[in-house]
Formats: sequence, structure tokens, C-alpha cells
Amino acid sequence: MSEKAPLPDVDRIEEALRQVIDPEVGINIVDLGLVYGVEIAPGQVGVEMTMTTPACPMTAYLTDAVTQAIQQYQQEPVDVTVKLVWDPPWHQGMMSDEAKAHFGWHPGR
Amino acid sequence: MATGSSLDLAPRYRLPLFLFAFIALLAGVFGGLLRIGWPLPAVSGNTALLHGPLLIPGFFGTLIALERAAALSRRWAYAGPLLTGLGVIGVLLGSTQTGAALLGLGSLVFAAASLAAYRRQPALFTASLLGAALMLVVGDGLWLFQGHIYHALLWWLGFLVLTIAGERLELSRFLQRPPNAEALFGVLLIALVGGPLLGSWQLDAGARLFGFGLVALALWLALYDLARRTVRLTALPRYIAYCLLSGYAWLAVAGAVMLGAGLTPGRLSYDAALHALLLGFVFSMVLGHAPVILPAVLRISLPYRPILYLPLLALHVSLAVRLLGDALAQPGLRSVGGLLNALALGLFVIAILASLLSKKPQNQANSASGGGSARRITISAKTSVSKRQ
Repeated sequence: MSEKAPLPDVDRIEEALRQVIDPEVGINIVDLGLVYGVEIAPGQVGVEMTMTTPACPMTAYLTDAVTQAIQQYQQEPVDVTVKLVWDPPWHQGMMSDEAKAHFGWHPGR
Repeated sequence: MATGSSLDLAPRYRLPLFLFAFIALLAGVFGGLLRIGWPLPAVSGNTALLHGPLLIPGFFGTLIALERAAALSRRWAYAGPLLTGLGVIGVLLGSTQTGAALLGLGSLVFAAASLAAYRRQPALFTASLLGAALMLVVGDGLWLFQGHIYHALLWWLGFLVLTIAGERLELSRFLQRPPNAEALFGVLLIALVGGPLLGSWQLDAGARLFGFGLVALALWLALYDLARRTVRLTALPRYIAYCLLSGYAWLAVAGAVMLGAGLTPGRLSYDAALHALLLGFVFSMVLGHAPVILPAVLRISLPYRPILYLPLLALHVSLAVRLLGDALAQPGLRSVGGLLNALALGLFVIAILASLLSKKPQNQANSASGGGSARRITISAKTSVSKRQ
């Protein structure tokens, strides 16, 4: 009887995603609001994310970094799939309060 | 796998295109040294005359078209840098006319790719990038059909400035900008496009208008650019910010010189304005973005190293020497500055190679310390997590 692969650790996925930083901006992709969804299954992690612009040359760099980070942070080997989505289009409001504070936003806006 | 990757060109095929750009850079710098009197062997007969075309439509045309093709992730777009790269080779082999035609054709493909990017996301910044590509097309066309670099020059400068300005506008979207910030940007774009247009009739007046646009852009960037924030970070984001901010200072200098003195070939003010803009502003951008763009386009690892500050410092010091020579009307000092400029660029290439060949540090290349690992991790409210058994 084959053993089922374990369900990936969600906290570790979150931690991994927070290590992926846009170098131009200095903020991680979770705080930037680029990560739309995470789906987990035994031995698998699927990430749905977007970029700030569809004409971004950094796309492959960031999606590669996501895959590597997630794999590094899991105890067991996982298959990582990163899917780029463009709907809804990213806008400033999707950033976390921390990111906004970093960018000098005035509170309450 | 990221969507669209099956339509994209594999990174290993992009490397030859990048090498074309590098050849253009080497030949262009070589030609520049010849122009300011350094007794180098004239390996290819015309590099001294073609310093400008080798560097702007040649080096930058190929590099930026390659980046645009990678951003679009479509194979056809890589025909742009392929054609411009072949144009560089043609020019170096002595067929200036054929080379110029290939550069022009490459710029047309680049413009088409920029149009595709605009259609994916119609916005002022993608319009700026498209405008930049069209200015390259005009410049290349003028050089091809009228034969004189001076007709093309302001258009070529516009191509570079609008490309950088468009990308900075895109990144400024992270900031809380006042509503008229984009409108102001639009106004200065008018000066940056109007300058070359006017210059087609009156080069001096056109250059001054363009110079005004450069000063206005420098002010806009001082107020609204992301670098004001990222300079407070560490490691790679801070290094990029220093490159940007020091570049903006040279942008203002170049604009002031052009506004005050126009752009008359042969004068030292011409040398000062062009090199403050192209070395001080544009190459500072290159130094800042290489650690980001090379990994993005060529899919290689390029760990950030503090040694990268050395070529940046060398670039600025050498440019100060050059401009001092221009200001004091001392061509000898200007030539020393020019040699130091070339050495600074050589130092940059060495630093990049050293970083490529070195072992990857423990932290990821893209990490900015002072951010995440000590904080309590919570699921972001905006990220949905679903489970499948």
C-alpha cells in the first residue's frame, strides 16, 4: 500500500512567499498584494499570482523565486505550480498596510 | 510554469542577442576613445565616426528591445534585437548603409512589441514606452535616409529618456501620488517629444526645449520617484536607489547645460550635455538594473555584492573629471575623463562577471534584510487558501 504524500504546511508556504521580494521595490510579494491564492494538495502547492504590469520583464524571475522558496521551506518535497492571472488587475489598494506604511502612505487613505 | 512560456524564446537563445549588444558596447566605447584622441589601433575603420550609432541604436537599441521581448514573452519580438544586433555587425564590417537599415528594421519590430505591451495595459507609462520606441524608429530612419547623425540625435536621446521615464512612472504607482502627478508627467513628456520635433527645423531651439524637459523630469523624479523610499532599505534595493538618485542628479545637470547652451556639435558643452545624460543618467540606470535584468532575461543567478558600488563611484568620479575638463575648456582633462569613463565601464563588467562566477550567498539574491524572518507569520487577509484532499 503506497503512502499518501502529506499535505504541505500552509504556514511555511506563507513564510516562503514572504521571502520573495521584488528587488526594485524592496517589499515581498505578499505585502505587495500580488499573491491572489494558494491551493494545496498532497505533495503539491499551487500559487495564483499576478504582476503589477503584464509587460513586466521580471515575471520569470519572480515566479522562479516563488517555486524555489516554497520548496526550500517545506519539510517534504513538493511540486509547485505558479499560475499567472491578470484578473482582477493589480492596483495600489491591494498592498498590505505594512507595505503602504513603507511607501509613506498617510494612514486612513 | 508561468503562462505564455511556450510562446517565449528559451533563455539560451537570448544569450547571442545579449552578446551582440555587448559587442556594440565595446566597439562604441572604443570609438569614443578614438574620438577624444587616444591612440588606439583603428581595428574597424569607422568606429570613431559611429560612436553614437553603435551605442544608442546599437547597444541600447538591442538591450532594451531584448528586455521588451522578454517582458512580452513572445518569440516574434526577439526579431527586434536580432535585427539590431545584425545591424551592429554590418556597421562594424564596413557596410554602414546595410547596418543602418537593419538597425531601422529592428527598431520597427521593437515598436511593434512596445505597441503590444501598450495594448495589454493601456496606461501613460506603457504609452511612454511606446513613444520611446517610435522615437528610436524616427531617429534610425533619419540616420538611414539623411546620413547625418545630428538629425537623429535628439530622437535617439528621446528614446532613452522616455524609456527610463516610463519605467519610473510605472514603479511610482506604489506611492501615494497626488492626482496631478501623472498630468505633470504628461506635460513634461510633451517637452521631451516636442524638443526633437522642433529640432528637425531648429536644432538649437529643439535642444533647449528638450533640455527643459530633462530638468522637469529630474524635478518630477525628485518628488515622486520610488527611490526616495527604497534608499532607506538595505542590500540590493538600496544599491539600486543610489544608482537612480545619482543618475537623476546628472539628468538635471544635462538638462541645465542643454537648456542654457543648446546642443552644438564640436563645442565642449555638447560633450558635457551628452555625457552627463548618457553616462551619468542612462548608464547609472544600467548599473542599477543589471543585477535585476540579467537574471530576469537570461535566467542566471547574479547575487548582489557591495563591490558593485565601486564601478558606480568610478563612473561618477570619472564623469566629474570629464565635465570639469569641458567646463574649464581643457580638452586634455576631458580626454583623461573619457578614458576614466571607459575604465569605469570596464570595472562594471568585471564586477558583474565576478558576481556571476562567485558562490551564491546564503540569503537569496533578491532578499532585502530588515524585512521578514523575525516577524510573526499570519495568513494575509487578501490571500485565499484552499485545500484539496
